[in-house]
Amino acid sequence: MIDLKEISSECSLLNDKLCQDIEGIIQKLQKPVTIKAVLDMEQEKSVEMASFLKRFCEIPAGAPVNLELYSVKELSEGPDAGTLAGSLKLNTQYLPVTGLYADGEFSGVSFHGIPGGKEINAFILAVYNLAGPGQELSEGTKKRIQKLKRPVNVKICVSLGCHHCSGLVTACQRIAMLNPLIDAEMIDANLYSDLVEQYQISRVPFMIVNDKDTYTGPRSIEDLVVLFKNSR
Amino acid sequence: MGEHDWHSGQRCPGAVVLFLQSDGMFSVHFRAAAGYLRTGGYMMHLIGTELEDFCVQAYHAGEFEEVTKESVLGHWSVFFFYPADFTFVCPTELGDLADFYEDFKAAGCEIYSVSEDTHFVHKAWADASDTIRRISYPMLADPAGKLARFFGVLVEEEGQALRGTFILNPEGKIRAYEVHDMGIGRNAEELLRKVQAAQYVEEHGDQVCPARWKPGEDTLMPSLDLVGLL
Repeated sequence: MIDLKEISSECSLLNDKLCQDIEGIIQKLQKPVTIKAVLDMEQEKSVEMASFLKRFCEIPAGAPVNLELYSVKELSEGPDAGTLAGSLKLNTQYLPVTGLYADGEFSGVSFHGIPGGKEINAFILAVYNLAGPGQELSEGTKKRIQKLKRPVNVKICVSLGCHHCSGLVTACQRIAMLNPLIDAEMIDANLYSDLVEQYQISRVPFMIVNDKDTYTGPRSIEDLVVLFKNSR
Repeated sequence: MGEHDWHSGQRCPGAVVLFLQSDGMFSVHFRAAAGYLRTGGYMMHLIGTELEDFCVQAYHAGEFEEVTKESVLGHWSVFFFYPADFTFVCPTELGDLADFYEDFKAAGCEIYSVSEDTHFVHKAWADASDTIRRISYPMLADPAGKLARFFGVLVEEEGQALRGTFILNPEGKIRAYEVHDMGIGRNAEELLRKVQAAQYVEEHGDQVCPARWKPGEDTLMPSLDLVGLL
């Protein structure tokens, strides 16, 4: 594990005003949440992400927000590498990657790249939905989500300036939190040109379901439940 | 003619119409596709306006043919107006379009260049110019000015059309357009991008953002906007 003392909490993306606004939301947290990230500290984005997370976790919250940072080398080298990778359950193909955990379990929610720009909303809502009172959701919708039987991995490719993207990320991640068979990964596609090339992404939000089917544009939670139910 | 006619959208056969305003002044309007374009103050846009019936002659791949409204329905179309045959900027623009013609065809879009010349003049121009000879899209002849007036690009006193470009969907409705003054050229590659963008929005709606993947966006300052979401 990376020693947090080695990480600077100076983060230009999280200024004092923004931190105050965030504090107003995460003061409502009701149970501890743990943020775990896998980083390649030789990459600028990973260094920046480490500072972003450290600064975020310093914002006073209603319940503890813990932070664990891991070097990608720890997941590939050493006797406990396999165990660690298995417990984190994060897709380390696109670094940096950050996952949210509560009650000792992976929530199914992760972020590739730094959730800046419009995606700060998705990141804050993910923490709030996981450990706070959460956004309102009808009991019927919750039941339909929990009844989904097939494993679904959904990657939501976004750009940080996209005002339609964070809503889809939040909707997918809300579903992932309520069903352990579903994972929802936000991906700042700007950072991963291979992915953009592979799927010929020209518009966002761009959703990839089970690495097979692709969809463009926002969708409601109800629409996503139907889509995931019929996924291959 | 009074205010009632303006609001009801009725059209006059004349090109210029005077309206009596509530303050007793007259305002001058030109008849065009969207109804009346006002000469001062505001103008109506043409987006969503459906093509009127028309029938013109065209020079197309060495032959003369008739092109009507029915000809342009069922596929995407670009109406590409230019001032006149045998001018200098025009062959450059039309040649540029010819270079991208296969890409437009691949996108399911037909190009119609239009000037106020006759189809005989189009042929003479093709016979005289290597650039024009290699054009394989229909070159419409609009000597009566019907199309140019409909799209609002006819300069009446000169009998020439402004450099107007109009993208129409398969239902014949205008989805995008630009109008340049006479000497300002256009870019076929950019036009192709606009056609593809219009097709994309038609298919997927407008709730998506273009992914430009330009450096710098990743440093975009976070903006918290959770009003109504908590």
